[in-house]
Amino acid sequence: MASEGAGTAQGLVLLFESLASVFSTEIATLQTEPEIRLAQARYLGKKGKATELMKQLGRIPPGDRPAVGAAANRARESIEKLVEERLAGLAEASLAGELARSVDVTLPGRGRRAGTIHPLSRVRMEIEQIFLGMGYEVRTGPLIETEWNNFDALNTPADHPARDMQDTFFVEGGLILRSHTSPVQIRTMLAGPPPVKIIAPGNVFRRDDDATHTPMFPQCEGLHVDKNVSFEDLKATLITFVQRFFGPQTDIRLRPSFFPFTEPSAEVDASCFLCQGKPPARATCRLCKGTGWLEIGGSGMVHPNVLAAVGYDKYDVTGFAFGMGLSRMAMLKYGVTDLRLFYENDLRFLQQFPAG
Amino acid sequence: MKISLNWLRELVELPSEVDAERAAAALTGQGLEVEGIEPKGREISGLVVAEVLGIRPHPGADKLRIVRVRAGKREEDVVCGAPNVPPPGNRVCWAPPGARLPGGRTLDAREVRGVLSPGMLCSESEMGLSEAAEGILILPPTAGPGDDVARVVGAVDDVFEVNVTPNRPDALSHLGIARELAAHFGTRVRLPEVDQVPEVDGGLAMDVDIADAQGCPRYTARFITGLTLAPSPISLRLRLAYCGMRAISNVVDATNYVLLETGHPLHAFDFDKLQGRIVVRRAREGERMTTLDGQERALIPEDLLITDARGPVAIAGIMGGATSEVSAATRNVLLEAATFEPRSIRRTAKRLGIPSEASYRYERGVDANGIPFASLRAASLMAKLGGGSLVRGTVDRFPRPPAKVTVPLSLTKLRRVSGVDYDITFAIQQLTRLGMGCKPQGDGLLVTVPSYRPDISIAEDLVEEILRMGEYGKPARKDRIASNATELANPEGSADRARRLLAGAGLSEIVTWAFVPKAALAAISGDGKNATLGQGITLRNPISADYEVMRTSLLPGLAEALKRNLSRGVADAWLFEVGPVVRRSPGGDATPVENNHAAGLLAGRRSGWLKPGEPLDFYDLKSVVEDVLRGFGIADARFVSPGTEPFLHPGVSARFLSPLGAALGCLGELDPRVLRKLGIETAAFYFELQVAALAGAAAPLRTAAPPRFPAVSRDVSFWIDLATEAAAQRAAFLSAAEPLLCDLGVLEDFRDPKYVPAGKKGVLWSMTYRAPDRTLTDAEADDAHRRVVSALSSTFPIQIR
Repeated sequence: MASEGAGTAQGLVLLFESLASVFSTEIATLQTEPEIRLAQARYLGKKGKATELMKQLGRIPPGDRPAVGAAANRARESIEKLVEERLAGLAEASLAGELARSVDVTLPGRGRRAGTIHPLSRVRMEIEQIFLGMGYEVRTGPLIETEWNNFDALNTPADHPARDMQDTFFVEGGLILRSHTSPVQIRTMLAGPPPVKIIAPGNVFRRDDDATHTPMFPQCEGLHVDKNVSFEDLKATLITFVQRFFGPQTDIRLRPSFFPFTEPSAEVDASCFLCQGKPPARATCRLCKGTGWLEIGGSGMVHPNVLAAVGYDKYDVTGFAFGMGLSRMAMLKYGVTDLRLFYENDLRFLQQFPAG
Repeated sequence: MKISLNWLRELVELPSEVDAERAAAALTGQGLEVEGIEPKGREISGLVVAEVLGIRPHPGADKLRIVRVRAGKREEDVVCGAPNVPPPGNRVCWAPPGARLPGGRTLDAREVRGVLSPGMLCSESEMGLSEAAEGILILPPTAGPGDDVARVVGAVDDVFEVNVTPNRPDALSHLGIARELAAHFGTRVRLPEVDQVPEVDGGLAMDVDIADAQGCPRYTARFITGLTLAPSPISLRLRLAYCGMRAISNVVDATNYVLLETGHPLHAFDFDKLQGRIVVRRAREGERMTTLDGQERALIPEDLLITDARGPVAIAGIMGGATSEVSAATRNVLLEAATFEPRSIRRTAKRLGIPSEASYRYERGVDANGIPFASLRAASLMAKLGGGSLVRGTVDRFPRPPAKVTVPLSLTKLRRVSGVDYDITFAIQQLTRLGMGCKPQGDGLLVTVPSYRPDISIAEDLVEEILRMGEYGKPARKDRIASNATELANPEGSADRARRLLAGAGLSEIVTWAFVPKAALAAISGDGKNATLGQGITLRNPISADYEVMRTSLLPGLAEALKRNLSRGVADAWLFEVGPVVRRSPGGDATPVENNHAAGLLAGRRSGWLKPGEPLDFYDLKSVVEDVLRGFGIADARFVSPGTEPFLHPGVSARFLSPLGAALGCLGELDPRVLRKLGIETAAFYFELQVAALAGAAAPLRTAAPPRFPAVSRDVSFWIDLATEAAAQRAAFLSAAEPLLCDLGVLEDFRDPKYVPAGKKGVLWSMTYRAPDRTLTDAEADDAHRRVVSALSSTFPIQIR
């Protein structure tokens, strides 16, 4: 590289000093790191301007060389500093640009929504979890049953007036659609010796079809047979269940009743979880209609004839059984007012029950 | 059953603070649930008993009269248009100004054709007591002028609707309910008073012969003579009406009244229409009779009959016959009080479809020992109401007296079953209140059960009797909470896993009936050609055509739900159901096979974000099925085309199998012809799978650490025959057994006829190569890729693009 200052020490020093300022102007227009690195190489690289100037050092008297060398170093340092500063500035600008982006967070998320679990399944799963936690097994059985399993083994012989309580569907081959899930109790006890501690959820069938009855509906029954199982254990189990299901402040009330397969028998009411059964809220409570109590199911001590029917020693073991309608439980728990909604399968209803 | 509180109060002494609510709570607490309390007679007020003092004509109208009446100290002239104003001295019902009638009507003094009338004299219908509008109500001479009419006739009452469980026939009467209240409040029942009526000797007699003692343990006949048929007094008719029975005539009403009072069915025959003697026997083959509802009934030999010399006069315990029915001309009555075998009554009542108040009680069990009282009470009441006399000489045939029932109850048993530390004195006290006899025996009691309690036969029954006298209502003891959680299996687990996976995949669960119309099975089975689907287990007594046959597939229910949602404007419906389907046993056993299936039906569009989505296709459906399979731990299910289900589109359907070849399910677009039959007007995609098969095919979950060396990818794009499926191409690539090939997949399946040679499709595959122990070089990857592609080209004719 030739210029008017070439050949003298002072001229070289001046050239080195101008080098940095020229670079500074050049770099200011560059926007990307590769461009900046190329520019840097044009000044400081093997064939760069600074290197070219250094080649003239040989022509300088040795005594002046340190001053020129110092000027060269200063120029190199300035250029390197300018490069670093420019790169840092660029990075900052790019980050600021990056951070300036924003989205409309109120637009909906993309993609398909997760589906939903039917309220009757949901309430069954919840009840199963509670009883699994109390050491119960879950057992199921077929919908099509023998009359023996559904009635006779349950102390309800042919012509027993209790068969009037549930009008039964008959299918071919002398079989019936089970009218309750109690046949599962029979099947379980026939399959093995006591102790037995099960719940049996499932659909059952009765010839009823109106605003408050459907020909098919889900039930969940429980059975606990062992030595020294008493009515007090039944009460304790029921209160544990209702408190876990409806909330810890829930109370129960038992009322004497009749089921052929239990003796003593009891209707089970839970205190209303909306009004807590307490005035003044109770008086206007839509859920319990002012009674303070919600009917949730039936229960009792397993009738000795049932134990005998499955070959258990009725002198050795006792047991209790209970049952509830899952539609009723779901209606209470989720505030559903019309039983028919469960079977209409309208997505606008069902999609209110997210899986989880 | 309807129970009048006024009537109860006559039969049992209740503490003064016991109102309707408290009495109802006591009954409910004891197991006789009071489902409702209906206040009666509250809509009328201010009506008074008035004595007629004189009657004179109305100056302005022929049909009106002016009646002078007295009520208490008050005397007034009331204008009346009724034809039946009784002579002076009789009692009528006067609604003076200020009195209230049903419908909120309040009386005032108003001019009637120029004469001022202070209120009016009322008919029963104006008072809302009955339909009888002909003439004013005439009250019995015992009614005191000035007394409140509503109270005098018993219109003010509370009627309980009591739900009596079928084991408690003893509670199907006012007396029975009174016994329960007496036990609760520690008071005594008062048997109703038998009316004093004249008795005569002779005149009427008829022998009774029980030919079937099994069917008829006891039959009694009483004879009442000199009767005159007339309407019963208003108070009696009101009670019958409040308890849901229609008043007919004094003679018939007496039997019904005593039925409601004591629970004993009674039947009045017109004695003069009977011939010979009464024989209780089974029907003969082909025998027929007309019952008093005018229906001719065909009888079969298991029906029990009451007959006379000419044939059947009643179906025992169910309904009387028309020929011996009490009518306006009846003067003499044979009053039957009997017991019949419950099962026999039940069968006949059910077969003939004529449930009656009598059969309802006979089916549950009527106490034979209560008959003499009920018969005497009814006969006397009838004689009193009809102005007749009892004929001495009651016939009582009692071939099968009930055995005395004693039940031992040990204290150990009582405590073990109840879980309560009862002592023996308490047990005796409770049982005695309920009418049981208690004698010490062993460490407990020998309890004599009254014959009206057929429900008590074992010790547990007695435990309930003791518990229901208070223990039911007490809170649970804290030391009995049972919770000893153990790890236990849940057979619903697989079905619930399917539910959660499907919900996770975006479907909504529905629940449909387990039975479907026959037409729906025909629609999905190619009109029954597929017998597994088409020939479901049929119901012998469906409620309607919607519930005819057990579902063989979940499709009919899902299709119905889809249709309903579409019709309600919900266009995007991803539905699923999990539940049992019922099919005939392939082995021909009587017991059908039930299997849990999971099925889904998809219609509508894919989700499109901020723009409309594309219509669904087969692959949206397949992705759901793949999610479920993955969730069940089935990695390499095989999808085989075509599907064999008759309801799926032949070209857009498949079966899927486990890696070992077990059938898992089917999927595909619904055949357009089936859609039409099901009434669905949009494309819909369906899968159905067997939950147990999926659970059985699940492989245990095994994992590998992520690879440590980078992979290299290579693509290959070619034309190939349209019919060569991706799975076949894949198999061809894999036949190279290239160890470096770790993954491959289709990136593009290109079929646009503008660019693709006829009969071909363009396919782009992408392969991933990796070595477990080093970074691959490009040359290694290229070599491996060449081997893999040539494995394909040596299997199928392809043209590399």
